[in-house]
Amino acid sequence: MIKRIFDWLRQPLGLVAVGIAFLALFSLAAYGIYYTQQPPAQPIQFPHKTHVAFGIQCLYCHPGAERGPSPGLPSTAKCWACHQQIAKTQTSLLLAPLVESVRTGVPVQWVPVAQVPDFVQYNHRPHIAAGLNCEDCHGDLTKMTIYENPQVMNMGWCLNCHKEKSAGNPELETKLLDCGTCHY
Amino acid sequence: MMNKSNIPEVGANFAEGEQGKWGMVIDRDLCTGCQACVAACSMENNVAFVGEEDSGYGRSMHWIRIERFWEGEYPEVKMTSQQPVLCQQCGHAPCEPVCPPFAAVHSQAEQLNLQVYNRCVGTRYCANNCPYQVRVFNWRDYTDDRLDPALVTLKNQYNPDVTVRRRGVMEKCTFCIQRIHKAQDKAKSEGREVADGEFTTACAQACPANAITFGRVDNPESLVSQLAGQNRGSKLLEELGTLPQVTYLNGG
Repeated sequence: MIKRIFDWLRQPLGLVAVGIAFLALFSLAAYGIYYTQQPPAQPIQFPHKTHVAFGIQCLYCHPGAERGPSPGLPSTAKCWACHQQIAKTQTSLLLAPLVESVRTGVPVQWVPVAQVPDFVQYNHRPHIAAGLNCEDCHGDLTKMTIYENPQVMNMGWCLNCHKEKSAGNPELETKLLDCGTCHY
Repeated sequence: MMNKSNIPEVGANFAEGEQGKWGMVIDRDLCTGCQACVAACSMENNVAFVGEEDSGYGRSMHWIRIERFWEGEYPEVKMTSQQPVLCQQCGHAPCEPVCPPFAAVHSQAEQLNLQVYNRCVGTRYCANNCPYQVRVFNWRDYTDDRLDPALVTLKNQYNPDVTVRRRGVMEKCTFCIQRIHKAQDKAKSEGREVADGEFTTACAQACPANAITFGRVDNPESLVSQLAGQNRGSKLLEELGTLPQVTYLNGG
């Protein structure tokens, strides 16, 4: 039985079939890898670089980073405070979801990108207080349109920095390399 | 005192006379067994409701339970005292050395027994080795709303500071480590030390009789140290050498 299948595969038609099957599998894998590496679709193609270029501080729109665990995403009111004075806002197709949000009162449904899993308890405040800058983890926002993580945010990446910063300070090392600092 | 462990993640390396860091005092004379601590703990720490059927199998999940004591034979029964039992946060914990993936580790920073949920593979060795029987296991996905649509309504009452555990994970009392971290974070942002009594655990906060006190045992000035220093204090199964951090007061 198996010998008959091999014989069939060796003839020209069989070889073509093998080739097509290989190509199909390869393209499926390539599509899968490509698809999972795409940043999620956002309601507004928010250009970070434009806003940074105007000199707006990160903490103006994400003030929670200085105070607590979550930096927060700006509310419609905060966007509108500046944007209602910009004539282009009313006509721009890209900003239509913002105008719609102001009109209906339904918040813009941003999709968070820099996320950690549920079993990680991350707090922005101590990181900012320790003198880290936003771009140390989030990359150069002057070159980004929609935010993308500049690196994979996994535990190895966290611990590399924690080890580096706590080297030579046993008390800090105990705190920063403790499981219970992030996982509970 | 104790042999120092070769593995830094297992067991506290207490020097002679050292007490640990966080401790609790439970006054059995004040406890009325009202179960407020049990309810408060479940709310604070996202402890799942297992339902009637699993409860019947003895799989009910509580991080703190009330043990009852009574005198006499039924129906002439007289309740004498109650004893809330939670994880004793042992300095030399029996659960830690038996965990194959090191999910039950000792926090050297806070001197607590940790359960690292993402490391836990559910061997349940730790629960079998715990002399206090305070570790509980997630036998099912009790929090998955895809399995039970009624759970969707519970989503908004989860505490965001605590992981929602999934199936196959062991869990136990953490001494409300999220509150410890929050208080430390707040104190640090204001440039001071955490004051005694500034925060407390959910069970201690809920106790209407103030039977539970939480604080630093390494600070002799703290309320918990002063209560634990009374001569009516005792610890559960102390003879096992587990160095429990919870002191029970009895016979006042």
